[in-house]
Amino acid sequence: MSSFLSGQRSTQSDPEPLEFLSPGEVLWEEEMERLCNSKVPLQALPYAMMDKRLIRHLRKPDGIKISFGEQWKKKWQQVHQHFLDLGHRLMGIFGLWKTDLYEIGAYPCSSSHEPQPGLNQIHLHLWDIFTGRAFINTYLFYGSYRMGPESDSQYSIRLAYLLSPLTCLLLCFYGTVRRMVKGLLHKQLLGKDYRPRLSSKVFVSWDFCIRNREAAIIKQHSNSNEFKIELQEEQRALQIQQQTGKQRARQLLSYVGLNMCIGLLVVGGISAIYWATKFSQNYKDESLSLLLQYLSPGVISLVNSLGPLVFGFLVKLENYPPNTEINLTLFWCVVLKLSSLGMFLFSLRQQTMQCPGRNDHSSCEPHDYNPCNQCWENLVGQELYKLSIFDFFLMLAFAFLITLPRRLLVDNLSGQFWLWLGREEFLVPKNVLDIVAGQTVTWMGLFYCPLLPLLSSIFIFFTFYVKKYTLLRNCRPSPRLFQASSATFFFQLVLLLGLLVATVPLLYVISSHSSENCGLFSNYSAPWQVVPEALAMRLSPPALKVFHYFGSNAFWYPILILLSLALTACLSQSGANKRAIKGLRRQLQWQVREKWHLVEDLSRLLQESGGSDSWGPESLSSRPSRPRSFCPGFPCPGSPKPRSFMAGSTHSQEVYGIPTPFGEETT
Amino acid sequence: AEEDFSWFDLTEIELLRVKCLPHTLDVLRASSLYTPFHIQLSHKTQRARAHRRFIELLPPESRNVEDSLRVRVSTEQILTLPELKANPFRERICRVFSTAPERDSLSFEDFLDLFSVFSDAATPEIKSHYAFRIFDFDDDGTLNKEDLKCLVNCLTGDGQDTQLTSSEMKQLIENILEESDIDRDGTINLSEFQHVISRSPDFTSSFKIVL
Repeated sequence: MSSFLSGQRSTQSDPEPLEFLSPGEVLWEEEMERLCNSKVPLQALPYAMMDKRLIRHLRKPDGIKISFGEQWKKKWQQVHQHFLDLGHRLMGIFGLWKTDLYEIGAYPCSSSHEPQPGLNQIHLHLWDIFTGRAFINTYLFYGSYRMGPESDSQYSIRLAYLLSPLTCLLLCFYGTVRRMVKGLLHKQLLGKDYRPRLSSKVFVSWDFCIRNREAAIIKQHSNSNEFKIELQEEQRALQIQQQTGKQRARQLLSYVGLNMCIGLLVVGGISAIYWATKFSQNYKDESLSLLLQYLSPGVISLVNSLGPLVFGFLVKLENYPPNTEINLTLFWCVVLKLSSLGMFLFSLRQQTMQCPGRNDHSSCEPHDYNPCNQCWENLVGQELYKLSIFDFFLMLAFAFLITLPRRLLVDNLSGQFWLWLGREEFLVPKNVLDIVAGQTVTWMGLFYCPLLPLLSSIFIFFTFYVKKYTLLRNCRPSPRLFQASSATFFFQLVLLLGLLVATVPLLYVISSHSSENCGLFSNYSAPWQVVPEALAMRLSPPALKVFHYFGSNAFWYPILILLSLALTACLSQSGANKRAIKGLRRQLQWQVREKWHLVEDLSRLLQESGGSDSWGPESLSSRPSRPRSFCPGFPCPGSPKPRSFMAGSTHSQEVYGIPTPFGEETT
Repeated sequence: AEEDFSWFDLTEIELLRVKCLPHTLDVLRASSLYTPFHIQLSHKTQRARAHRRFIELLPPESRNVEDSLRVRVSTEQILTLPELKANPFRERICRVFSTAPERDSLSFEDFLDLFSVFSDAATPEIKSHYAFRIFDFDDDGTLNKEDLKCLVNCLTGDGQDTQLTSSEMKQLIENILEESDIDRDGTINLSEFQHVISRSPDFTSSFKIVL
């Protein structure tokens, strides 16, 4: 541009009055003026460097001294920017796994038979660790926290113990909702079925980080698949719309039938978990075999692995479009996972509340597995601890004992079977759901097993590296592209549901009866009673009155009413905005259509009156070459302008090329 | 006439490493008053890294600082970079960022422009602007049906099994135009393109090249 513009300026010795400039040049001058007068910083302008230099020169020609204030401001900005960069780099160092995630994203992506006398001890120790008995007297579990009666010292451990899980859950809720909302704001106007629109998929689908030829080919294949699937879905949707009422009723009936069938299977799976928990709790003290100890986690994992396979099989029978298949299967997997965890907790509670045929209220002793002991919180904590450990080791076992041998066999043996088997496909939804389930277990255990989050953090840390290794070395990429942005919202929603599943039992437990013989709340009717007592001990009567007011109905009903009013106002505002957008779109279409009618009329008139070659119909087909200006279309980015007006041509005449937008219809 | 070195804000150590003449050194030092244009590649090591990569593409006799600021590298040379080799849009990228009259060579400033637009720190507006220019295969300022056709062919590759049939292509392009063309003139202009892109959170992470 600078080369071109300097050429133009050299031909104009002094600025001509506006009416002698061609329309193209007028627009150009206006645009240059706009750029020079705007306050947009140079770095934010999308032009080449020499153009930016020109603009800077035009804005502030040489010779004008930079005032002291401006110099100081510039220096301050530089220092500020430097600090920001430093801060970002430091955060980058602390940001866990950032380079690993980049690497993954850019990649297309595994005792003797007679117990020796010495080994017995080790065996027993390991056993104790795996069942949690080793830690029963430590701070890992609820039961070992003890304290005398409440005093009005500054720190009340009871209050802290009670409020920490609640605060933690509240913070997690806030964090998750905030991320969801952030993602939602960027979300496009979703088409029907809440899928991202095809146009944005097309424009965004190429990942410019790809350097590998093979990765590029894989990406192209997956793009092609994605487009074809989307187009097929649309054809199907059109066909469905043309169905008769009877066919539609039949479709609906089969859909409902399928869902009911799967629902029954889910109920069956959950009751299996209930019975397994009941069985293992009833016979726990009679035999300490590994199977019984880990029966419940085992059954949960079994149900959660078989479930998706069965659901997928059933859904495929019905021959739905691929997106519907995936959504349906995913939905039921989520339901199964969360409800199995919920049922597990519920059945544990049931078992500890009912004491069939046992009436001794012996005190809570260590290593005592009397199911009727009064320290049921310890029991629940132990079960959740075992579940956590079991999930982690199961994941390790799958990664090293199934996926790795499979890869070795498939790569090194040749044969029809191995060719057909192939490497394992890395399913992102399944892995994400596993992580969400693990997090739900951690949240559930916050009250009963306070150090469980520490354990989970360690497990998650190692899980990441194991999964990274599995993905990069032992798996093949899924042929179906995984749309990250829309799925993120869905998975955050599932995380929120898991949070709910963990919070509701906790709230129930806090407000109900607690163990009499162990833990911090043995002298209270319900753990929540600590709060009013602690408040009463520490605050003066007027402050107490204020707190009572905050807890009473008189406060919350008006708040509720206000919130409903605010919600109504927001909804009506958004409705009004939608209508305004529709109206503006219509207006824009009319205006553009009107503009093109005028242009056609003009070209017709010129044709009739002029008759010279420049205006003839051949100019419609020939696209005169313009000097390559620095921005697409003329004169500047951002404003929709008609095409092919030239930016001050080097031709002697002005040639208006006026191809119509509906070029195919009018020759 | 003295070139404006205002963007070239290297530290002393980097200057010494690059082995330039004392005169050039003085000029470079004196120019530190001006704020560099490329805040995007703000960190000095990133710019120095870009300079090192650029110098590798030059013939051996021009591998010094003064020549590297003047000399242009042809598109064929740029296309040998590993970051661009597998990219189906590589020729378009070189064409868009080139400021030469024939659009067939890049100077160091153009090179810096390229990597700063594709870096993390460039704003989504700048990225979407340049994405529009890259996808505008006939350089007429709008995306019409032929542009979209070329775009989809680049995305799906040339293989027999991956290319879309003509009816599929037609359906796809009609879909795209229906969703994105707000004023219904049969083409997508820059504002409509930016509107579509702004709704898509994946764009900034996919429109990125790391040196």
